[in-house]
Amino acid sequence: MIFSKKKITTAYTVEKCKKCGMLRKRKFAEGDVLFSESKCTSCDGITSIEKIFGETIEQ
Amino acid sequence: MNFTNIDFDQLLGMSDDTNPLMMLIWILPIFLFVFYGQRIQLFVTSGEIKKGINKLDGFREESRNELIDYIKKNLKPDDDPVKKINRFLDYFTIMPVDMDPNGIVDKVRHTVRSREDYTREHIQSISPEISDLELSKVQTLLEIASSLQMIYKIINHMFLTAKKQNNYPLILPLQMILPFIMEQAEAMKEAIPAFKAGQPVGDGIGPMVVGKMMLDIDKETVAFQTVLAKTKFDNRTLFLLKAEGPSSTVGRPADALETIVSNNKLDAIIMIDAALKMEGEDSASVAQGFGAAIGGIGTDRFQIEAIATNNKIPIFSIVVKQSIKEAIVLMTKEIADQADEVCSQVYEMIRENTQEGQSVAIIGVGNTAGVPQ
Repeated sequence: MIFSKKKITTAYTVEKCKKCGMLRKRKFAEGDVLFSESKCTSCDGITSIEKIFGETIEQ
Repeated sequence: MNFTNIDFDQLLGMSDDTNPLMMLIWILPIFLFVFYGQRIQLFVTSGEIKKGINKLDGFREESRNELIDYIKKNLKPDDDPVKKINRFLDYFTIMPVDMDPNGIVDKVRHTVRSREDYTREHIQSISPEISDLELSKVQTLLEIASSLQMIYKIINHMFLTAKKQNNYPLILPLQMILPFIMEQAEAMKEAIPAFKAGQPVGDGIGPMVVGKMMLDIDKETVAFQTVLAKTKFDNRTLFLLKAEGPSSTVGRPADALETIVSNNKLDAIIMIDAALKMEGEDSASVAQGFGAAIGGIGTDRFQIEAIATNNKIPIFSIVVKQSIKEAIVLMTKEIADQADEVCSQVYEMIRENTQEGQSVAIIGVGNTAGVPQ
C-alpha cells in the first residue's frame, strides 16, 4: 500500500469527420454522447463521436 | 567488563536438559498457542478485516454524499432531500419464497420491477420536473449507494458477531470473501463519476454496437426504455434492439423480443453483451458462443430462453470479455476499439447462420449510459 501509485483516469472523446475522415481526440466535455454530431474544424463536413473512453495513468 | 567471552551454551543451558529456565522458554509458548491460538489468530485477522470495513464505510459515505450533492446541484429540489435519500438507502427487497419454485421467475420479476417503479416515482417526488435522462442517472447512483450501504452492513454484522462470540471459525469465511467484496465495492465506488457524467461504461459495448447499426434508421419504442429499428442486410430482415440511450438503463429486451416474435417469424437471435473475463484472459477479447448472453437477476434470460425454445429459434452470442470493474467504470480504450470488430462479426454471423429472406433479431445487451441510437 505504501508503494502503490495513485491512478488517475481521464476521459477522452474521439470524433470522426464523415467527409474528410479526420479523427480528432480531445478531452471529454460535459454533454458528449456517442454518435452526436458537430461541424468539422478542417472541412465543411459533419463529425460524429466515434468513441468515448478513459485512459488511466499512474502517478 | 569483557563481553567477548560469553558462553551461550552455559547461559541458555543448552548442554543441560534439566535447566528449568530453558524448559519454561520452550513449553510456555506451546501452552500459549494450544489454549489461546485461536484468540491470537482472531486478533490478527480482526485487524485486517477492520481495515477493510473502515474502507467500506468510507465508500458508503462517499457514495451517499456524491448522490446528495448531485441531486442538490442538478435537480434543485424544493425541500431538503437528505431525509428521503437516507430512507431510500435503507430500502430492502425480500425475494419470493422458493420452497415451491413453480412460478418463481414471475414473482421475482414482479418484485424487482415494483422496486424499480417505486424508486423512479420517489425520485420524481424529489423533483417533479426531472428529465428521463437525469432520472435514470439518479436511479443508478441510488442503486450504487444503496448496494454499498448493504455490503457495509452485512460485512460489519458478520465481523461484530464473530468478535462478540470470540469465535475464530466464524471469522474465517469473512476473511475469505472480503477481497472479492472489496473488489466489487471499489468498482462500484469508481463507477460513480462515469454515471454522473453520462459516460459509456464497459457494459455498454453491446448497446454501442447495436446503436451504431441503428444510426439513420427509424426507431420505435417497443418496450419500456427499449427501442427497435428494422432494417435490411443481404436480403435478410434485421430487428435491432437495445435499451433507449443515452439514459442509464438496460431496458427490457425480453419484453421487446416477445413483442417482435408475436408479430414476426424469427430465424435467429444474436445477442451482444459484456462478459466477465476469467483470470489470465485478455481484457476486451471477443468470443462467440451459443445461448442467451444476458446478466442481471436472471428473469430476462429466462424469458428470452423460453421465447427461443417455444419458437425453435437458435440463440447466438458475441461477448466482449472484461473484469467486473471494467464493466461498470468508464469504458476503456481497448473495449471501445473492439466495437467495429464486433460489428463485423455480427454481420459475418448473420451470413453464416441464416439464409436470404430470413429474419434475425440482434440485441445489444447492457447499460446504455452515454450511448444513444
